[in-house]
Amino acid sequence: MAAHNPVNEQMSATAVTDSLKKRPRLGESVIQGFLFFCGLLSIFTTLGIVFILFNESFAFFSRTQWETTNKPILADITPAATVIEVGTRGATLRDGDIVRLGEEVILIERVDGLLLTVERGHRSTAPQAHPANMVLQRANDIDVLDTIRSTKWIPQLGEFGLWPLLLATLMTAVIAMIVAIPLGLAAAIYLSEYASERVRGILKPVLEVLAGIPTVVFGYFALTFVTPILRSIFGMDTVEIFNTASAGIVVGILIIPLVSSMSEDALHAVPNSLREAAYAMGATKLETSLKIVVPAALSGIAAAFVIAMSRAVGETMVVAIAAGAGPKNFDLATDSLFGYVLNPFVAAETMTGHIVRISGGDLSYDSIDYNSLFAIGLALFLMTLILNMIARYFVTRYREVYE
Amino acid sequence: MSELDKQTTGGDLNGDRFFYPEGEALRLQIDRRRRWGLIWRSLFMGALIVAMLSLTALLYNITNDVLGLTIVINKTDPERLVLGLLADEMLGASNTFGSEDDNALAEGIVNDIDGIGFFGNAYYVANRDSLRLVAIDGRVADSDDVADYPLARPLYLYSAESVLVSNQTANIFLNYLLTNVNDDIGNVGYLAADERTTLRARQNWLSANQDLGLTSGQWAVINPDGLGGRVTLSGSSTVNPLTDYMLAAFTADGFAGSYDNASVGSSAGIAAFCAGQADIAASSRPIKSGEIEACRRNGRFPLEFQIGVDTLALVVNRDNDWIADVTADELALLFSEAVTWADVNPAWPNRPIKRFIPGADSGTLDFFIESVFETRLAELPKEDLVRLLRENVTLGRGRTLERDQRFYETSLVFESPELWNEVCARPANERPSGCTGPVRDQEDVYGLVVREVIQPDVVQVYKLVDSIFKRQEIVAEAATLYPNGVLEFRSWLTTDFIRDPQSSTPEYAGVRTAILGSLWVILITILFSFPVGVSAAIYLEEYASDNWLNRTLQTNINNLAGVPSIIYGMLGLAVFVRALEMITSGAIFGLVEADTTANGRTILSAGLTLGLLILPLIIINAQEAIRAVPNSMRQASLALGATRWQTVWYHVLPSALPGILTGAILAVSRAIGETAPLVVVGASTFITFDPSGAFSKFTTLPIQIYQWTSRPQAEFRNIAAAAIVVLLTMLLTLNATAIVLRNRYTMKT
Repeated sequence: MAAHNPVNEQMSATAVTDSLKKRPRLGESVIQGFLFFCGLLSIFTTLGIVFILFNESFAFFSRTQWETTNKPILADITPAATVIEVGTRGATLRDGDIVRLGEEVILIERVDGLLLTVERGHRSTAPQAHPANMVLQRANDIDVLDTIRSTKWIPQLGEFGLWPLLLATLMTAVIAMIVAIPLGLAAAIYLSEYASERVRGILKPVLEVLAGIPTVVFGYFALTFVTPILRSIFGMDTVEIFNTASAGIVVGILIIPLVSSMSEDALHAVPNSLREAAYAMGATKLETSLKIVVPAALSGIAAAFVIAMSRAVGETMVVAIAAGAGPKNFDLATDSLFGYVLNPFVAAETMTGHIVRISGGDLSYDSIDYNSLFAIGLALFLMTLILNMIARYFVTRYREVYE
Repeated sequence: MSELDKQTTGGDLNGDRFFYPEGEALRLQIDRRRRWGLIWRSLFMGALIVAMLSLTALLYNITNDVLGLTIVINKTDPERLVLGLLADEMLGASNTFGSEDDNALAEGIVNDIDGIGFFGNAYYVANRDSLRLVAIDGRVADSDDVADYPLARPLYLYSAESVLVSNQTANIFLNYLLTNVNDDIGNVGYLAADERTTLRARQNWLSANQDLGLTSGQWAVINPDGLGGRVTLSGSSTVNPLTDYMLAAFTADGFAGSYDNASVGSSAGIAAFCAGQADIAASSRPIKSGEIEACRRNGRFPLEFQIGVDTLALVVNRDNDWIADVTADELALLFSEAVTWADVNPAWPNRPIKRFIPGADSGTLDFFIESVFETRLAELPKEDLVRLLRENVTLGRGRTLERDQRFYETSLVFESPELWNEVCARPANERPSGCTGPVRDQEDVYGLVVREVIQPDVVQVYKLVDSIFKRQEIVAEAATLYPNGVLEFRSWLTTDFIRDPQSSTPEYAGVRTAILGSLWVILITILFSFPVGVSAAIYLEEYASDNWLNRTLQTNINNLAGVPSIIYGMLGLAVFVRALEMITSGAIFGLVEADTTANGRTILSAGLTLGLLILPLIIINAQEAIRAVPNSMRQASLALGATRWQTVWYHVLPSALPGILTGAILAVSRAIGETAPLVVVGASTFITFDPSGAFSKFTTLPIQIYQWTSRPQAEFRNIAAAAIVVLLTMLLTLNATAIVLRNRYTMKT
């Protein structure tokens, strides 16, 4: 093999290896980077939601409302004075109160009758001279606890109790669940266990159409169809034009497709061997469905219920149109619990309804209204998030069982 | 142990009493279990039926509100408007002589060979020797067969059973009149009614005199000899000569009482009768429903007696030898535009027509106009409609209308030429749209006349079902509550509704602004969310390895899909509207419109917000579609040396595309129906101009529906329902497209 040249062979082998080597492909990397960025955008969305909700809510809770005490200072005061004498009229001041004179914020360290010992230039304001007879304004901070303690939501008066809105939200959601759970589950059982392919082909699209109808149309339906029916059944005096019952029933109808399709998926995922075993033991179709298949799919069905609840809590247009146009403020001491507070025939505004109504009006940025909406939004977000997480927990459990 | 268990197994499984049923007991047990199975099965089925019923109720409710009867009160009666206009035109035509005195008209034609005119046949009969009748479409006024004569009108008397029972004089006079009128009417110059009509009139009289015991077809002739008492008549001047004649004959035949026969016009006569001031009303037109109702309220239920026919005589000079028969079209020309006879028919002499017609206050002229000319407002030529506008609209309003859009290419109706030229010389963005835009067409001017002059006001609306099944009650109620109102069946969903912009009056409101707004917003949404969503799905399915970051991504996307839509609205408000205002308002591109107050509340903000909202849906759907592509396809592509991206682009994406598109379209239809986030982002409550781009203020269809539904007035509910129909149609079209698209692609691959 005289012609054989080991050097040449060596070189050609290197060339082949080189040509087969992974080359850096810039285009591919750029594309992959772009795709990753698009995926990342959803994280940004979540972060954005969390950030703005917390940020604006923080602004809401750190907001100070100044209310007048009607209490005048008796003499002119200089920027350096630390003792202020006040008149007898007006509200009583206490140690630790924060008051305002003009632009300057002042901390009251001690109250001795009509003499106040103060710390000037509080909250990074500059001490200034103030003329006699100027009236003190007292700071009224919005407290997180206040939103839980108070049962009135009256922003104009500085009352920010979340209960009226929360209660209305829960009431509509519960009524919706009472409507949607039995109907949705029964429909799911029928579709999954009983219906022939042909019947399924006819019935499922009906549910899909129902699911595809915009919620504002359901709102119209609630106000112009369900409410008049309720009023003719229970009486015009009992049922107000806007009421949570009507809104709740329609929200229920709205989420039937959600409950039924998720439940049906869960029922469908139950292995056929379970059903066959039940039949072999002599069980009827009903016994198999209710005692074998439904329990086996229970975690998936539970997840469907929880997701539906979350959807009902977050549903907006139906309640904005049909439930009421003002928070149902109440006082547990005077208002009857079942006659008013928990009465579904009385108008009540839900959290979502309130957000829509206020933001639909003339809303100026950085006003107390604007910030309060985000506080409500935060509460709503947390509620739905918790519900969704519970649902996810159910789903994972049910997946572990059969896969 | 549950009730069901007890019923189905027949014993306590854990107890000693457990037994296997046998024989008869077994059969019973199986029957019982089957029965329960059947009951529950029906219950399950029932749930689906409830869902279907809800859907039906929803659609029923919308249809019920979109169509239905309405009561409309017109500020100006369109019929009077047209009659007034056409009467003016007729009287204003060249060589026209108008007079309330029919004898003067007859005399005019007698003395002028070019004269032509029309009046009650009685006056032709009086001047038979010097006038000549002209046939219309071959039919002459003075013939026995008047049924087809175009200018024939029936003459009526009205009374009531209560009157005829309490006033025997009136009763017997009517009997006398109905017995003899057909013989005597020729003497007055009118024509007898046909046999059937006479029979019907007699039957009406009999219905008030049932104690005579006569059946239909029979007739009683009552001799008035020696009858006393008093009868009062009131009404039409046309009928007056006839009733006068009959009363004179009544007296001549022995009537000894007194009578009063007032010639006050048909409407006044009927009103007097209904108010109880007259026993019998005379009228040259049928009674109107409002008048019937007014009578009923006074306890008088009108009985109708048609007693004859008046034929308007169309006459020319005796010496006129060129005209014998005219067509309806020629007749219209003769009394309107034509100046000379030759204008109507070239064979006729080229001399001016001399017209002798009843004056503007005459009911005869109105009747002639109604019979000869087109009197539907909507069919009037544009020139006439513009004239109506000019006569009935203030100059200022007219100028505004003209500045919006001109009426004529070459002439101005309201504006002075100087002012117009001055206004139109301004720079392009300050001058009114009328300077450059197209001219208004007939349809448009008609719309203006309706809006500005007739000003119909819907005062009451009824639901469709009531309109169909309770029509009688509604008609009665309409007549009671709104005697001037017009009851009409109305569809709130019209082409105008789709074409017109928003308006504060529900009758004229439309959804064009909203539809365009929806389309713009959706365009932005698609442009943003489709590429981003599909890219994210590709990343997650094709590139992402199983590490914590990618798992977080996936979980996060699933969670985002469960966030209430209103939260996205708040995100959009805080981020797009406020933080990115410079971009979303277009300020950074120098694209801000001068007069806009949108700030960040623009179509761009709304579209991006909805884009974020449906992003998770698009991603999840696209992921599923991509996942369904068989792995063998990828492996084959990679084995042939394709890069990862090449595999995705040339193999995975094409076969996943139908699924991706279907999912995307479903997501987009969700976005179209979405309302709450857009309210929060700041949809405009009232805009009448079309959106001009991504930086315009916006409103969308669902927003319109929400706002209209929230209004207390009933008519807004109706247009909300109409808008819902538009919205559902849009969604249906979109979903149908999705299905068609999917099928086509599935077949190709």
